[in-house]
Parts: sequence; structure tokens; C-alpha cells
Amino acid sequence: MSTKHSIAAEKFLQNGERVTRHDQTFWSVRTKRDTLAYELDEWENLREAADKIKKHTVTHLADYLEQFEQNATRNGGIVHWAKDAEEYNQIVLKILRQHEVKKVVKSKSMLTEECHLNDHLFKQGIDVVETDLGERILQLMELAPSHIVMPAIHITREQVAECFRQKGIIAEHGTHAAEGILPTGEDPNQSSDPTFLTRAARYHLRDNFMTAECGMTGANFGIAETGDIVVCTNEGNADMSTSVPKLHIVSMGIEKLIPNYEAMGVFQRLLARHGTGQATTVYTSHFRGPRPGGEMHIILVDNGRSSILGNEEHWQTLKCMRCGACMNTCPVYRRTGGYSYTYFIPGPIGINLGMLKNADENYHNLSACSLCCSCDNVCPVKVDLSTQIYRWRQNLDGMHHADAMKKAMSKGMKVIFEHPNLYTSSLKFAPLVNAMPKCLTGIKLNGWTYGHEMPVFAKKSFHEIWKKQLRSESV
Amino acid sequence: MNFMDTKEHILNSLRKNVRETYDMPELSFKKRTFEDPVKAFIETTITTAGAKLMEIKPDDDINQKIREVYPDARIIASNIPGVEANLNPDTLAEAQELEKTDVGVIKGEVACAENGCVWIPQTMKEKAICFISECLVILVSRKNIVSNMHEAYERIQFNDYGFGTFISGPSKTADIEQSLVYGAQAARGVTIFLTD
Ligand code: SF4
Ligand code: SF4
Repeated sequence: MSTKHSIAAEKFLQNGERVTRHDQTFWSVRTKRDTLAYELDEWENLREAADKIKKHTVTHLADYLEQFEQNATRNGGIVHWAKDAEEYNQIVLKILRQHEVKKVVKSKSMLTEECHLNDHLFKQGIDVVETDLGERILQLMELAPSHIVMPAIHITREQVAECFRQKGIIAEHGTHAAEGILPTGEDPNQSSDPTFLTRAARYHLRDNFMTAECGMTGANFGIAETGDIVVCTNEGNADMSTSVPKLHIVSMGIEKLIPNYEAMGVFQRLLARHGTGQATTVYTSHFRGPRPGGEMHIILVDNGRSSILGNEEHWQTLKCMRCGACMNTCPVYRRTGGYSYTYFIPGPIGINLGMLKNADENYHNLSACSLCCSCDNVCPVKVDLSTQIYRWRQNLDGMHHADAMKKAMSKGMKVIFEHPNLYTSSLKFAPLVNAMPKCLTGIKLNGWTYGHEMPVFAKKSFHEIWKKQLRSESV
Repeated sequence: MNFMDTKEHILNSLRKNVRETYDMPELSFKKRTFEDPVKAFIETTITTAGAKLMEIKPDDDINQKIREVYPDARIIASNIPGVEANLNPDTLAEAQELEKTDVGVIKGEVACAENGCVWIPQTMKEKAICFISECLVILVSRKNIVSNMHEAYERIQFNDYGFGTFISGPSKTADIEQSLVYGAQAARGVTIFLTD
């Protein structure tokens, strides 16, 4: 039996060049993260702190939300509560109607994706313009994001150029955008230079910033003690969206709250280092109230989060700050792309969030994991991602979705993991596999080896190296 | 369900679903500091942050320095006393009027060595100046440089305007095939004026 993920992945894998590019792109981000990790002696202290702060906050969330509401209201903001996507969409529409808004400029927010806000507003005749460059490209191409931080990285420059031409952006802004970027005489209609395309998009989006009546942003963090909403971007699009229109609507999942500035220092240092491998995002903006003569609305959205808190095995997904690091490192995500998953958030965290949202629709994604545990090791807030995936798999039986073969395989793995001696000896003999002819190891006998290259095993296992060398050196 | 019901519903659901509570951790672990934060800030600013930096002496003429870095600027916006500007963000009716600004001159209060961030509290009516200008000049004193973000968060202050932002260099994007491009939506270039 194949899952929807494995079928979609097979299609993705047919274009070898694309797979390699996708894989290398995200691996390079992971490598940048590593470089920054080695620079900071307190790296693990920070992760430890982030984990504990989040655990503390989500288990005291009701109190912190009340404190946040009080402070945000005192600062002049208007706080709304939405229990689900429908209520959320209604609240947004009501605010927009009150202000007779025809156009919204919006900076990237996974929560609005989760609630399908854009469709809802389009149906009501309100134009929504995404202002993050990647999101705007996808919106113009009518595609969904394939990653939560770098949503359009799978699109080629040629595709972007083609799209901008079709939508008239090059015709309108091409000549201006080409100034000083393209060599004189080069036809803007033929160019797919990223700097040129970015410049054309800049002018195109400027027009929208100037004419929209409302700016919408998500929230990377909400700070209970001060009532601040913190939004981190590299492009400055959240700031542009909220500096020209007088109306600002913030959409925040209730789990995004943290207690105070002391905690904020920890998360500010972790977010960009993990997500994109930068020491900081270019902008870390604190919104503490409306701009002069304007209004600021903050919508606190539950949409299933409060009940996740009661889920003993999966409540820690609430710690997630949507940095994307687990996707960047995941060998399966890197080689199968975001569209192979059935949930709009792909990768390790998406597998778990999808199951929590709708297990019957999303159990397919559980096959997108080799249980390598890399995601757990990079997650800045220590979400136990692979353990959670393992638990879901164990429970598939009860859902009648367990695949007989996978079941047998994971049983085998379970036996190995639960018996340390067997684990060590199977590792010791693993290098022997290197010498076996590929026709034996790569046999397409079952759904597991099919499409999987056998790994090259290290000559010595880490256990052996540890025992013989490292341990003696470290004492 | 009306508004109060929804709020109560969410809070009750959260209170009901908590099984075990956790304490706020102690954050006293050692954080990275620099022997010479000023030097480190300069280094980060001109490398990873992608900005320029000019050290300004007390008897330097700021306006001449601005011309030096941005000789082609036609429209300069600022509300800083002594800066020769064509537009003042305090006296404009609408933010849109700043659209054609070539150089915005603003003030930073705290600068952070580890990542080149400069804290800019809103001190003007139209904060658009901080983002809409093609290029930014940010004045910041070398006395206000700290090593890391923990120290920065201990120091930052808000004005009556309810906004402040950390800016580290020019607006950037890598959304098209991961190639780094400066000048996505906001300022295309940033020059830090490091004052005494
Ligand atoms: S454990 Fe699974 S989900 Fe996590 S990185 Fe490895 S393959 Fe991906
Ligand atoms: S689970 Fe962890 S690594 Fe993955 S997006 Fe969330 S915070 Fe980042």
C-alpha cells in the first residue's frame, strides 16, 4: 500500500535535477545554522531556556492571555478572541467592512493560511495582496507555499520572470527596474535576473502599499507583560504594510505568547539563527499600539490549540515557533518537497500538526519519516518531533490505516531500539553491508528499499569511536 | 457565540486542559560578550548586516557627511534638529508623502554587537520614514553599544508612540532561487553614523 505522500514523492523524484537543487538549498540553510551554533557557547543553554519558557507559558496560558489583553488594551489596541477559523474570518471581515476597506496588504502569516482567510475575503470582494516576495510570487501563480519560511524557493527564476510578464508587472515596472541593474540594451522582457525581478516586484508592491486601506500581519511573538506584538521579517514588508495604511490587524495564534522581554531576548537570538541561518532578521518590530490617528486590532485565535494542550502525547507541538529548521534538516522533506505532504505545513512539525488537525486526511504523511531524529536535534524549542511521529504510527492500528509491511518494519526497529546489545551489534556489522553488491542491498523487494538508496555505513560506529578514542581523550 | 463567551470558552478550555505546570526557568547562564563591543558592532554591520558605517567626530558636519555618502540624494527626510531635510515626518498629513524619499535620517538608541541590530523607537509622527526611504542614515552613539540581545532588551525604551524596531542593515530577500538581493520592500541601503 502506498500513501499519498509516497505517491507524490515519487513524482517529485522523477526530476533528479530539481531534487538535488531542493535538497542542497535546504541543506545549505541547515549548514549556516550549524556555523552560527558553533559560534555561541550558550547555544544549548538557549535551547534549554526556550524549551522551558515555552513549557511554562503554554501551561499558564490562560493567565498570560489575560495579562496580555489588559496591557494591549491599555496601550490602545482592540483585542478580539476567535475560537475557530470561522469566527476569525468573520471578525476580520467585520473590521474591514467597518472601515470600508477594499484592499488589504498582508505580510506572511501561517495562521491566515490555516484559516483560509484570503479566499474568504476574495469572495466578499476584498482584494488581498501578499507582500512577502515569495508569497506574492505564489499568489500570482496561484500556488500554495511549499515551506513555512522560504515558501517559493522551489520556483525557478525563469518561472518568476514568466509570471511577472504574464501579470503585466514587467510591462509596467520593467524599464524602471532595469535601471542600473541590467546592462544597457538588455531587454527587460527577456531577463530573469533575480535582482531585476526583485526590483520590479518592489515597485509593484509599493503601488499597493500606497493604496491599501489596511495592513495585516501575523505575530512571531506576543509579550504578556508589555502587550507588544513582535514581527520579524527580512524584507520589511510587515513594516511597510503597517506604516502607510491607518488600520492594522494582527492575527496571532494563542500559543505565540511569551511572558516578558527577558524571554524575548532568548527567542530573538534563536529564531533567525535556526530558520534561515542568520544572526538576526533585518527587522524585529515591536507594535505596542495603533499609529497616530489609526487603529490596531489584535485577534487571538484558538482554532484547536487549547484542546491540543490536553493531549498528553502531542501538547508539546504548542511550543513550536514556526522557524522552519526541522524542515531544512529533514532528509525526507529535502528530497520530496513541500507539496508531497497533504497538510499545508510540511516536514516534521507539519506531519504532527496535520495529524492533530485531521488524522484521517493526513495520516499519509506519517510515512514521510525515517525516524532519523535530526529534527529533534535542531528544533530550538525541543519539540519531540520524531517521538511524536513514532507514537502516531503506533496508533495507526486503531485507526485501521496501518500498512502491514510498515508495521512489520517498525516492529523490527522497535526490537532493535529496545535492546541495546542487539542495537550495538547490528551497528558493528552494518559496515559489512558496504561490501555487499548493490543487487543484494538494493533489492526492490519491499516498499522500503524501493526508491531508497542504501546508506553507506561508516567503517567504525560512533559507539566504537566513542569507546576507543573520544572517551579516553575527554577524561 | 458572542465575544465574552468565546473568550471564556478559550480560557476555560486552557485551564481545564493543563495537566502539569512548569516554572519559568532561570536565565542566568553565561551569554556571549565582546571585549570590545564597538569593534564587534562595526565588524558585524559592514559584513553580515550589509550596511555601511561612518565614524563621526564631534566637530564633523552631519549634513556634509550625508552628502558624502549619498551625493545623488534629492529628497532627504528627517525630524532631527540640525539635519537639513526637505520633508519632516512630524508635519506631514499622510505617510504617502514620504514615498519619494531618497534618504531618511533617523536616530537609534541601542546597538547590538552580535547581530548589528539598532533599536529605533518611533520618535516621529510618520514611522514610514524608517522603511519607505530608499536609503537610511541611522545615527547612534558608540556609548550605547551592547554585546548581545539580552543586554539590548534590558535597555530599550518606548516613546509615547507605540512602536519601535530593531533594524540590522538594508531590507533583503532570498526568495528567488535563494540569491541574496538587497532592497526588497524597505530601505535598499543603510549607513550607520557612529557618533561619540
Ligand atoms: S525523524 Fe523523520 S521527520 Fe524528523 S528529520 Fe528524520 S526523517 Fe525527518
Ligand atoms: S518544530 Fe521546532 S524546528 Fe520545527 S518549525 Fe517548530 S520550532 Fe522550528
